[in-house]
Amino acid sequence: MKRFLPWIGLLVRLGLAGVFIVAGALKVTDLPASGRAVVAYELMPTNVAMTVGAIQPFFELMLGALLLIGLATRVTALISALTMVAFIAGITSAWARGLNIDCGCFSKGGHLPPGVTPNYLPEILRDIGFLAMAIFLMLYPVSRFSLDGWINKPEGDVRTDDEQA
Amino acid sequence: MMSKREDRRAAARVVREQLAREKRRKRAIWTSVTAVLVIVIGGFIGWGVYANQKAGKVNVPTGANKDGNAVVTGSGPVVVEDYIDFICPYCKVFHDDAKDELTRLVSENKITLVTHPVAYLDRFSTNRYSTRSSAASGCAADGGRFTEYVDALFTNQPAEGSAGPDDAQLISLGLQAGLTEEFSQCVKDKRYVTWAKKVSDDAGAAGVTGTPTVFVNGKKVQANAAAIVAAVNEAGGAAPTPTS
Repeated sequence: MKRFLPWIGLLVRLGLAGVFIVAGALKVTDLPASGRAVVAYELMPTNVAMTVGAIQPFFELMLGALLLIGLATRVTALISALTMVAFIAGITSAWARGLNIDCGCFSKGGHLPPGVTPNYLPEILRDIGFLAMAIFLMLYPVSRFSLDGWINKPEGDVRTDDEQA
Repeated sequence: MMSKREDRRAAARVVREQLAREKRRKRAIWTSVTAVLVIVIGGFIGWGVYANQKAGKVNVPTGANKDGNAVVTGSGPVVVEDYIDFICPYCKVFHDDAKDELTRLVSENKITLVTHPVAYLDRFSTNRYSTRSSAASGCAADGGRFTEYVDALFTNQPAEGSAGPDDAQLISLGLQAGLTEEFSQCVKDKRYVTWAKKVSDDAGAAGVTGTPTVFVNGKKVQANAAAIVAAVNEAGGAAPTPTS
């Protein structure tokens, strides 16, 4: 099992990287729309939400890029997990307050037209899946083909089994 | 029994391992700091890009409201504000449903209609139809035929995901609606393209996250004729319409 963990780690790391890069790329082309998606949650003052929405795609792209190259995997995994917790909390609160919005997870979100019902439960379950992936990486940050692995390449005979931060 | 030499070698090994561990710890700290910095810098880039995208100099069409982000029709006491995007299917449904009642309320001088032609949905056409149609509606306002032009745009609404009417087609729709050469020039000059962006940004800042959105005297109401008429009657203090 231990032999396979770095390979599983690679899959999880690349998967999570893909999630963030796709999510960021879909929103980065229209920042005001991304801002309106955050406004629609009615959790922040409008101008704050617009700014948060504009920053978020860049944040997601950077996080995705770091996961892709595998730099500081444990830290980026922790940030990913916190991000997912925030998303899950946001969607849950929108659901609890009966808001009729698109979560804006992989789109520009906003209010849904009348007659369209939101899909909060699948969105939450999906984010819980991503959260699980992030937690896995926090626990087992060693993965194949990572920059971390390259940086911490064992030198000479001082190899120990607790390498990697 | 270990010899003295072996003893020394073991001690050296422990020291080497400790040094290596210390080195790894430092590297871990630095890679973590780097990663966090990358993310923070990314956030600042986003902020910068967003701040830069805010519209600079904006032309405002004739008949605009005080904030310069909507076109005003009529002068009645009750203010009805609607936010529409010319490619949004529900905006067409709303327009077709409410058009007659809104026209009546305006002509009876009961309401001031304040229309914000937002361009939220550029991604739903392959040629930024939302922005271009909004800008063209500003040109139509200059020509005094905003309402007629809005009707023409909704009658000829393109399907989402397709290419919307191009500028030449937007011009010919205007000419059919009785606008003149000046309108054509205005569309060609893209005079109100930045205005379309301002209308959208201001709408977002006002908390309008989707279209259609309607306010009657600042209160959000459902985007349909019945709800608007009811809200206008209430706001205007008029007797409710007798039912049967």
